[in-house]
Amino acid sequence: MERKYIYLATLLIILALGLVILPKKNDLKEMPPKVLLSAIAEKSRYLSVDQVTHRIIENDPTLMLIDLRPANQFKIFALQGSINLPVDSLLAGSTVEQFNQPVKDKVLIANSDLVSEKAWLLCSRNAVPRVYIMKGGMNEWFTTFITEKPVSGTPSSTDLDLLSFRKAAKQYFTGAGETSSTPATPVTKESVQVVRKAPKATSGGGC
Amino acid sequence: MIGSIISSGIISPSWDNVFAVVLGMGFGFALEASGFSSSRKIIGTFFGYDFVVVKVFFTAAIVASMGLLYLNYMGLVDFSTLYIQPLFLASAIVGGIIMGVGFSMGGFCPGTSICAAAVGKLDGLAFFGGMFIGVYLFSEAFPWFEKLYYSGSQGSPMVNTVFGISPELFTFILVLAAIGMFFGASWVEKKVKKVEY
Repeated sequence: MERKYIYLATLLIILALGLVILPKKNDLKEMPPKVLLSAIAEKSRYLSVDQVTHRIIENDPTLMLIDLRPANQFKIFALQGSINLPVDSLLAGSTVEQFNQPVKDKVLIANSDLVSEKAWLLCSRNAVPRVYIMKGGMNEWFTTFITEKPVSGTPSSTDLDLLSFRKAAKQYFTGAGETSSTPATPVTKESVQVVRKAPKATSGGGC
Repeated sequence: MIGSIISSGIISPSWDNVFAVVLGMGFGFALEASGFSSSRKIIGTFFGYDFVVVKVFFTAAIVASMGLLYLNYMGLVDFSTLYIQPLFLASAIVGGIIMGVGFSMGGFCPGTSICAAAVGKLDGLAFFGGMFIGVYLFSEAFPWFEKLYYSGSQGSPMVNTVFGISPELFTFILVLAAIGMFFGASWVEKKVKKVEY
């Protein structure tokens, strides 16, 4: 073995060892409090259930759905493509790498907004970019798409478009067939009045 | 701190192709200078008489890995902005087998075949032509392969995350493995009969 290769190998080992023994740098990025306060005041962190659903159906590659509900609820029903990160393990070492995707929109989903808001605050304080909240959470999503929230008053054409989108989305997620807008009238049986002949008068005696 | 200059908006994405050509020329030059335009040299890895391919690529991997980690530590590169290729396990295994068989039969991988074709080698030209026929057939038959192509999606996992170790420790292990391989390969080369080419 040539001596130069031994020197090179030793140099490589020293450099690699240097990486291991170097003191860990505290590179935790934090959003300054003033910026965080102004971000809290803004409402741009909210995405409506319609916006999120539209992006799911379109298979938007920049969408990353983070379901904050407990694992048992997630198993029962979850939005397509969502990943389960319960809020107590949100910024754990093993999961924080999932947020290291600057091109993705991280949409937080819980049952309502309460948990999502807390998670959003945690993520934003830790400078995780592009974090959003699905407004109303799964409760709102279920009300909007599965139980089909009615539109009050005379619906405009935009409302009608939205309603037809929601119907289509319901079919997409549940596989339910097309339902008629007017409920089918139940088939009622015509009652037939049976007129029976009056029994003939029987003779009073026997043979 | 800098990220990748195109994704951070410093340079317009319309420069993509210009960068691709310039970097491709550099890569091709490095391949040719390392002797990778010779199929006999490349195939030597499989027969044990020449391990230059493994040595060059392993060296590139450890130098890039250590370089990135040091630059990240010094705050010169934002490690988090790097694009990590997603893993499709099933298609990676099938593709790896096909690639390995083609590599050992033809003596070239796609890049080295272009390199060989560029310096006028007939086997390189044949491999290059075959590769394009294969690409055309695959594109035409893609609907048949689509399910396999996208199967086994694993996201973008990193080896160190899978094993639960830090990237620095993983790089250290990789360097030790590379050095072990360098010395092991040299030992095998001495034992195997030399092939003149």
